[in-house]
Amino acid sequence: MNALRSALAGPAGAILLAFFLAACAMLLAGVSPADGFEALFIGSLGGRQQIAETLVQTTALLFPALGICLAFRAGLFNIGAEGQLLIGGLAAGAAGAHFAAATPLAAFVLLACGFVGGGFWGAIAGWLRAQFNANEVISTLMLNFVAFNVASYLVSGPLKSPAATGAETAPLPTSSWLPLLLPDTRLSIGLLIALLAAFVLRWVLSRTVFGFELRAAGDAPEAARRNGVNMPRMTLLALTLSGAIAGLGGASIVAGVLHRFNTQMSPGYGYTAIAVALVGDLNPLWICVAAFGFGILEAGGLAMQALADVPKDAIHVIEGLIILVLAARRYIATRTQAAPI
Amino acid sequence: MEAGSNLNRDVLLSLRGICKAFPGVRAVDGVDLDLHSHEIHALVGENGAGKSTLASIAFGALRPDSGAVDTHGNSVGLVHQHFQLVGRLTVWQNVLLGREPRSGWRIDARAARQRVVQLARENALDIDPDAYVDELPIGMQQRVELLRELEREPAVLLLDEPTAALAPAEIEGFFQTIVRLAEHGRAILIVTHKLQEVIAYSGRVSVMRHGKIVGRFATAQTSVEEIARAMVGGNLPTVAARAQVAPAPCFRMERVRAGTGSSAVHDVSLEVRAGEIVGIAGVEGNGQSTLADAIAGMVPFSGTIAFAQEHARRSVIPQDRHREGLVLAWSLVENAVLGRQRLPRVRRGAIVDRDAARADAQRIVERFDVRASSLDVAARTLSGGNQQKLLVGRALLDDPQFVLAYQPTRGIDVGASALVQSRLVEARNAGAAILLISFDLDEILALADRVLVLYRGAIAGEFSGDAIDRARIGRLMAGAAA
Amino acid sequence: MSAAGASLLATLAALTLVKSTPIIYAALGGVVSERSGIINIGLEGMMAGGAFTAVVFSGLTGAPVIGVLAGIAAGALLGLVLGVAATVFKVDQIVAGTGINLVALGGAAYALTLLYDQPGASPQVNALGSNYWILVAAAFACALLLHAVLYYTPWGLRVRACGENPRAVYDAGLRPLRLRLYAVILSGALAGLGGAFLSIGEVNIYSDGMTAGRGFIALAAVIFGRWTPWGATGAAIFFGFFEALQYVLQGRIAWLPSDAMQAIPYVAALVAIAGLVGKVRAPAADGIPY
Repeated sequence: MNALRSALAGPAGAILLAFFLAACAMLLAGVSPADGFEALFIGSLGGRQQIAETLVQTTALLFPALGICLAFRAGLFNIGAEGQLLIGGLAAGAAGAHFAAATPLAAFVLLACGFVGGGFWGAIAGWLRAQFNANEVISTLMLNFVAFNVASYLVSGPLKSPAATGAETAPLPTSSWLPLLLPDTRLSIGLLIALLAAFVLRWVLSRTVFGFELRAAGDAPEAARRNGVNMPRMTLLALTLSGAIAGLGGASIVAGVLHRFNTQMSPGYGYTAIAVALVGDLNPLWICVAAFGFGILEAGGLAMQALADVPKDAIHVIEGLIILVLAARRYIATRTQAAPI
Repeated sequence: MEAGSNLNRDVLLSLRGICKAFPGVRAVDGVDLDLHSHEIHALVGENGAGKSTLASIAFGALRPDSGAVDTHGNSVGLVHQHFQLVGRLTVWQNVLLGREPRSGWRIDARAARQRVVQLARENALDIDPDAYVDELPIGMQQRVELLRELEREPAVLLLDEPTAALAPAEIEGFFQTIVRLAEHGRAILIVTHKLQEVIAYSGRVSVMRHGKIVGRFATAQTSVEEIARAMVGGNLPTVAARAQVAPAPCFRMERVRAGTGSSAVHDVSLEVRAGEIVGIAGVEGNGQSTLADAIAGMVPFSGTIAFAQEHARRSVIPQDRHREGLVLAWSLVENAVLGRQRLPRVRRGAIVDRDAARADAQRIVERFDVRASSLDVAARTLSGGNQQKLLVGRALLDDPQFVLAYQPTRGIDVGASALVQSRLVEARNAGAAILLISFDLDEILALADRVLVLYRGAIAGEFSGDAIDRARIGRLMAGAAA
Repeated sequence: MSAAGASLLATLAALTLVKSTPIIYAALGGVVSERSGIINIGLEGMMAGGAFTAVVFSGLTGAPVIGVLAGIAAGALLGLVLGVAATVFKVDQIVAGTGINLVALGGAAYALTLLYDQPGASPQVNALGSNYWILVAAAFACALLLHAVLYYTPWGLRVRACGENPRAVYDAGLRPLRLRLYAVILSGALAGLGGAFLSIGEVNIYSDGMTAGRGFIALAAVIFGRWTPWGATGAAIFFGFFEALQYVLQGRIAWLPSDAMQAIPYVAALVAIAGLVGKVRAPAADGIPY
C-alpha cells in the first residue's frame, strides 16, 4: 500500500493520472483520445499564437499559485486566491480607468494597485485568524463570494464604463497597458514579472529570516511559537502577502491581457492555482513548471472544446482529481495548531 | 509480598525472540519473557531501554518485526504510561466504551453507572462514574484507565510506569489493588524504573538494557544495588560536587500566579543565582508545565518574573522536543538556528547567515556528541537521545546566563543523559543560573544545589546543602508535612 | 402591526425555513463528520453532487422521490471518497475536501453538457412541488435523530470518542478508522440530501454554481453551533434567515444594492466564525489522521 501510495502520490503520478482521466473524459464525450489529445496539444503548443496563449494562461495561474504556496508554507489554507485576484484586478481596473493613465509607468502603478488590493483582501482573513482564531478556510472562501459581490456592485454602478454595454470598467488607455512580450499576441511581460516573483519567493523562503520564521510557523507551529516567532503577526503577514501576490495576478490580467476589468475575468484561476501549488510541491520553481502544465490544459482545453467537442469542464474535474491524488504528498502539519473548523 | 511458591503458576503469556526496530534504534532486540499467574513481574530498565515498546507488543498494539507473542488464549489489558482516555467523556463512558450496556437502541446509562460503581468497589478504587475525565486529577484518571482494563477481566495485566504520576500515599493503595489482583490468579507485569517498589511488591524482576534482557532475578534473592548495576551496566553515576555560589541573583520570581484548574501555580516566589542549579522537584501534574510556560513567556501571569540584567541571555530546554523544540523535517543546521534566528551572529540584515549557522551546528555536534550522518539530514532521522542532545546543545550554545531546563533528559538513554547532565553542570560552573524542573527525583538530587518542592502549584518547601533529604522531599512531594 | 407587515413577517419566516433547510442538512453532515474526527471541507461538492444527481434521476424516471434518493446516494459516494482518502491514504483532509469540491462541481458542469447539451443549466424536471415541506420538516427530524444517535446510542458514543482520542477507541477493541469512514459517508449523504432539496425541492432544475458556497456556510454553522446537532441547526437557521432577508428586502430598500444584499449571508458567516466568545473546542482529534 505504501509503495503504491508513493508512486501515485508524486507529481509525476498525478500527471499520468491526469492523462488517463482526460482520455476517459474524451471517451465519455464520444471522442477518441487520440483526437482529443491532438486537439489539446495543437491548441496549446501548435503555433506561435497558441504557445503565447498557453503562456498567458501560465501567467494567470502562476501568480495566485505563488500566493497560495506562501500561505500553505506558513500553515495557512488560503483558498481565497480567486477573490484576492478579483479584488486586485478591480483595483487595477479602477485605477487605470480613472487616474493612473496620467502617471509615468502607469502599467506598474496598476500592478501596485493590484498588489495592495489583493493584499487588503488577504489581510481581512489574516486579521480574522490572528485576532479571533477564525478558521481561514471558511473566511477566505466567504470572502471570495463577497469579493464577487463587491466587484459586481462597483462595475454595475460607480465604476461602470460609460461606453460599454455590459458591467465593466472603461477600457484602459494604452499608456497603462503592460508591454507585450510577443507582438500580435496577448502575452505581456506579466509572465516575466511572475517568473521574477517565483524567484524572489524562493529566495525569501530559503534565505531570509522572515522566510525562516514563516516556514517554522508552517512546519512546527508550537516550536515556532516558543522560539521567537510572533504567530499572530506571522499569520497576518502571510495571508496579506499571499493575497497581494494573487492580487498582482489579477492586475496582470487586467493590465496585460484584458485591458479592462469585469467580473468574468477569471474562469477559476484562484481554484486551479491550488492544484498548481500542490503539483509544484509548494516549491516556487517547480510551481512555474506546474503552472506551464496547467496552462497547457487551460489553453488546450478551449481548443479541445472547439475542435474535438470535449467540454472544457472536463479539465476542472481533472484538476480536482489531481488535488485529491496529491493530497497524500504533503501532510501539512499544522492541524495541531489549527483554528477550529 | 510475593506469590507463594506452592501455588500452581501457569504461564499466561509468552514472548519469544521479540525484535522491534524504529528508525535509528533497535528498541527490542531478541527478548524472551514468560508471565505466570499469581505473580507480579517487574520489568525494569533505564529510559529508552525498550520496556514500553515491549509492553505494547505484548498487548498487541504493536507488531514485532520478528518473534512471537503467545497469549495462550488469555486476554491482555494494558494501562499506558500516558493514559489513553477520552477527556470529554465521563468515567463510565470511558470504562465501558465498546461494551456499553443497552436497553433497546439506547445505552442503558443507569446500568452502566452501576456496573462502574460495582467494579470500583470490588477493587477498592472509588470513583464518581459521572465525572468528566478531563476534570479529574491525574491519580484519578489512572484509576479510570485501570478500571477500563479490569472491566474486560483480562488474565494478564500490563502496567506501564503506573506510579509515575502518583503521590507516595496513592502508591500504596495502588499496590494493594495490584497485589489483590495477582492473588486472584492474574499475571501482572509492571514496567517501572522505581526499584524500591520493585523490591517491595514484585515476585520476579527482569532487567532490560538497550533492548535486551540482561538480568533475571527472583526478587527475594536480590537487592536494589544488584538490579541497579544490571540496569546501568556499571556503578551508579556519582553525584556532582555542589558549587560555591555567588550571591548575585540572576533570576527572580515573586508571587507568580498563572493558569487555571489543577495545573495552575499559586504565589510562587523563588530566586536563582548565578552559578547555581535550583531544582524543582515534584510529581508530574503539580503545575510544572504552567510554571515553565510562564517563565518562557508563553502564558499570561500575574506577579513578577524578572532578570537581574534586563538583557540577560536566556534559553529554554522545553519538555517536548518533538513539538516544542525541534522541527523534525528540518536539517540539523536549520534546527541550530531555530530560536536564535534574530541574533546578530546568525542574522545579516534580513538574511540568515548560512556559514554561521553551519558552524554553529558543527559546534553543537562536536560538543554534545550528536550522532548523525551529516549536518544536512533531517532531525527526524536522529535517535531520541541525539535529538535531545541537539536541543540542549542549541540551548547552551550562546553561553546563556539563565537556563530553564524542563525534563532535559526525558526518555533518552543513559549515555546521552549523562552527557546532558554534565554539560549543565559545566554551564553552572561557568556562572549560569539554571532552573531545573524534573520529575526524576534522582536527577534533581544529583544536579541541584538547592531543591524546591512544587505541590499543587505552590512551593511546599526548600532545601539546600546538607539539608537536602530525600525522605523529607518525598513527603512534601506527596503533600504530607516534612 | 399592519396586515401587510404581518404577511411580510410570515413570508420571511417561511422563506427562512426553506432557505435554511439545505444548510441544516449539510451542517448536520458536518457535525457527524467532525465529531468523528474528519474535517469535511467537501460538503459543498457533496451538495452539488446531490443536487445534480437528483435532477438527473428525476428527469430519467419522472419521479422526484427517486431523484431525492439518488441525491443522497451521490453525496454518500463522495463521502466515501473523502473517507477513504482520509482513513486509508491518510491524506490532508482539507486538501482532499477541496479536491472533492472541484471534482464534484466540475463534474456536474461537465455532465451537464454531456447529458443535456446545454451548458449552465439543466432542463426542468419533475420536482417535489408542494411536497417540498416534507423535506423541510425532515431536516428537523434529522437533527433530532442525530442528537439522539450521537448522545444516546453506543455508535454515537464511539464516534464521539473517535473524534477525541482514536487510540482509546482502538484500545477498546473497536475500529476507529471504520467508524470514521461510516461517519463521513453519512455526512455526505446528508449533504447530498440538502443538495437534492436545493435542486428539486426549492426549484426544479440544476444550474451551475447553485450551491453558492452553502457547503462552507454549513461549516461555519457547525463551528457556530459548537459541533452539536441542535446548535448547528440553530446556526443554519441564522444564516438562512439572512438569505431570506435578502429576498424579502429586494427592491424595498433603495439605498441597499442587490449585490450588497447577496453578500449578507457570507458576511454573516464571517462574523459568526470571528465573533465567538468564550471557549471554542473542536473535537480534539479533528483532522489528525489516525
